[in-house]
Amino acid sequence: MGDHSPRIGTSRRVFLANLGIGALGVLIPTAVRAQSRQPAQTMSGPMRGEAYIRVSLPERTGVTPKVSLEQRDDLEKHLKCQCGCPLDIYTCRTTDFACPVSPKVHADIQTLIASGYSEAEIRDAFVAAYGERVLTAPKPQGFNLLAYVAPFAAIASFGAFAAWIIHRWRKEPPVDADAFARIPQAGGTADELARLDAAVRNDDR
Amino acid sequence: MILVGELALWVALLMAAWCATVSFAGGKLQRADLIASGERAAYATGVLVIVASAGLLTAILTHDFSLKYVASFTSTNLPTVYLIASFWGGQAGSLLFWTLILAVFTGITVFGNRARNRVLMPYVTGTLGVLLLFFLATICFSSSPYERLDWIPAEGRGMNPQLQNPGMAIHPPNLYFGFVATHIPFAFVIAALITRQLDSDWLAAVRRWALLSWLFLTVGIVLGMWWAYVELGWGGYWAWDPVENSSLLPWLTQTAFLHSVMIQEKRGMLRKWNVTLVAASFLLAILGTFITRSGVISSVHAFATSDIGNWFLTFLVVAIAVSAYLVTTRLRDLEAKAHLESMVSREAAFLYNNVALVGIAFSVLWGTLFPILSEAVKGEKITVGQPFFNAVNIPLGLFLLALTGIGPLIAWRRASVANLRRQFVIPVATGVVAGVLLLALGMRDGYALVAYVLAFFVAGTIAQEFARGTRARRSMYGEGIGAALFRLVARNRRRYGGYIVHAGIVLMFAAFAGMAFRKVHGDVRLGPGETFRASDPYGREWTFTNQGISEFKALNREVSAVSLATTMDGRPQGLMKSEKRQHVDSRGAPTFEPSTEVGIATTAKQDVYVVLAGIVGDNVASLSITFNPLVIWVWVGGALMAIGGLIVMWPLADRRRAQSGYIATLRPEPLPSAAT
Repeated sequence: MGDHSPRIGTSRRVFLANLGIGALGVLIPTAVRAQSRQPAQTMSGPMRGEAYIRVSLPERTGVTPKVSLEQRDDLEKHLKCQCGCPLDIYTCRTTDFACPVSPKVHADIQTLIASGYSEAEIRDAFVAAYGERVLTAPKPQGFNLLAYVAPFAAIASFGAFAAWIIHRWRKEPPVDADAFARIPQAGGTADELARLDAAVRNDDR
Repeated sequence: MILVGELALWVALLMAAWCATVSFAGGKLQRADLIASGERAAYATGVLVIVASAGLLTAILTHDFSLKYVASFTSTNLPTVYLIASFWGGQAGSLLFWTLILAVFTGITVFGNRARNRVLMPYVTGTLGVLLLFFLATICFSSSPYERLDWIPAEGRGMNPQLQNPGMAIHPPNLYFGFVATHIPFAFVIAALITRQLDSDWLAAVRRWALLSWLFLTVGIVLGMWWAYVELGWGGYWAWDPVENSSLLPWLTQTAFLHSVMIQEKRGMLRKWNVTLVAASFLLAILGTFITRSGVISSVHAFATSDIGNWFLTFLVVAIAVSAYLVTTRLRDLEAKAHLESMVSREAAFLYNNVALVGIAFSVLWGTLFPILSEAVKGEKITVGQPFFNAVNIPLGLFLLALTGIGPLIAWRRASVANLRRQFVIPVATGVVAGVLLLALGMRDGYALVAYVLAFFVAGTIAQEFARGTRARRSMYGEGIGAALFRLVARNRRRYGGYIVHAGIVLMFAAFAGMAFRKVHGDVRLGPGETFRASDPYGREWTFTNQGISEFKALNREVSAVSLATTMDGRPQGLMKSEKRQHVDSRGAPTFEPSTEVGIATTAKQDVYVVLAGIVGDNVASLSITFNPLVIWVWVGGALMAIGGLIVMWPLADRRRAQSGYIATLRPEPLPSAAT
């Protein structure tokens, strides 16, 4: 109580500073490298027709398609168009015929459905051809789990930290509790008010 | 004029350097002459940047294609309004526009504080000088709109057709105003940290700028959503694109600050947190600019790639380092003046609100940057799209919506059981009744149901607050309902303006939830005279009959348009038209990819959204027809938020407001003559 020595000592500051510098040391080269590799898509630039990769699997005959139209549309909504737009295949192909990628991908999917492949098999074939970037959201497995867990973990940590701070506050009186406790009585007696008046006027000079 | 403009840019660079140097020196050495010189340099920089901007605008309006920027983004047949918009339509011009806003804001700040905050002002001016210096240096050395071409083309490339939309003409400036307005609070925070003047003075100076930034960002984001909806043609208004996210990030932290600042004003708490939020808002604005302009993350909205990203990245790192150093070395000066007394109090509710807002900001930032992290770790860049952001942010958003209702109902310091019962009965009952009704009507989407229950709960809290306040005024002053309501808001602008903002949020959440029931009919092919039948989310039967395709020339484009006669449950609903546009230059040569003009029929219940995807075969139109429920309420909600923000900002509210702490009324000092 009343001990106001720095609660966050030098060692913690140094630790945080080192942590920050370390994080920046990783992030900056990564960002610079990514920047040099990845040209931005511009709205005024041409779409990337060359981004299309034909996806095919061994043809099967005499099979009944396992995927309904609704399931096909749903599958297309979980595959990202690679033309440079931010849309999924279904939305892109039904929005603009000018896209050089989504109608071709749709045709590939139709062929695979006709060959009797399931949604999962078709999705895996696209991941094998394009890589994971073809999915509109990363599969929640392995390293990708971090993407899903981190926001909630951060909020939980933040919440726990706030709860800990509140708990600590409730155990300790405010830093200048006495001063604040006096605030409601600032009206005081006539004599006290006169002294306050004089003191404030003096301060103003 | 162009030469003058370019010259002004270089002189402005030198002037900003002088402004930063002498302001900091003046503050450190307590030299009034240096401080005054720094302030004059700030004004001079502003004037010079205005001259530089006028030079570029003149070049654009006179079609001076000797400038690469003018040739790249304009053409002689571009309508005047879009010629003006091209000022901020490209990389270099938008940077100059940003600098222009910053220079004007700097001038306003310096002038407005010529008799106030004198201890802080040298450092405020110095910090703003540094920011101006950075932007001017970036323009002069990396991305100048005054860069010349080796030859003068007869015609310019023109503006991207999708940018030729009224929404796009006013949406970017609003965002820029919002981004740049974060710089002023940041400058005050840096000044307060340097001088250790960390009482409430800097808060008063900062709050209105933070509100201004929030207001512009709100308007800019909603206009951007509207533009995406009416122009891009994919039927939605938010795609969690990195550039969209980058405008949302500072908005979230500013919203958090505007709530937590109340706790500091009233209780002297959360001082470290507020300083951090102000700095974070600025840093996120810069990070957003880095994302938009560096090409580090692909986005449909991004500017062309240039080395400008290195400038922003370096600046961002330095700004983070300086902010972190100043905050960590001033922790003791930022100790709270009071402590939280109960977990069930207004302060605690605001704290939870901050946890949710910053949590959402973190998840948006995390999702936006995760592809880079994935590439660094796995060597493969993955996509983090809409499904991810929806999965993570919908629960957080609903938590935030609940807090929007809970916060205003709880008393400051400590809420009693009686207080809670009195405040919560009506809003909770409203939400529960709405939920039961919606269940009975067949709503089964879990998230949507929760969203509507919470929306009705929050609407109940807002209605209750207005009803109680109005009733109190009527009984106290005998006013009519209209007068009592008007004066209630006018006399408590901050509080009731805030409730109006909350009402806007409620409408937006209700509209977002409505999209869970949208019905999409893609790839509809209609020959002349053919009819397509579809049912909307309310179970009504619609018909769309192709009236034929017309082709014509208009302004700077060649148009193919399909007209559809529509009926709903057999009743005619008029014609709907959607266009495919091929923009051409002044010689009739095609420019850019074809663009779509969406046909939208709006009612309070839904939008019928028709997109002509293309024309196949013999005049067969390929269409996408979508029923989007409740979309109009997104725009109404956005407008309400802006109106509420304006009410909160209205100056009188602040002047009438007492400073936090206590009010000491001074008795008049007796005049000498009266004393004798």
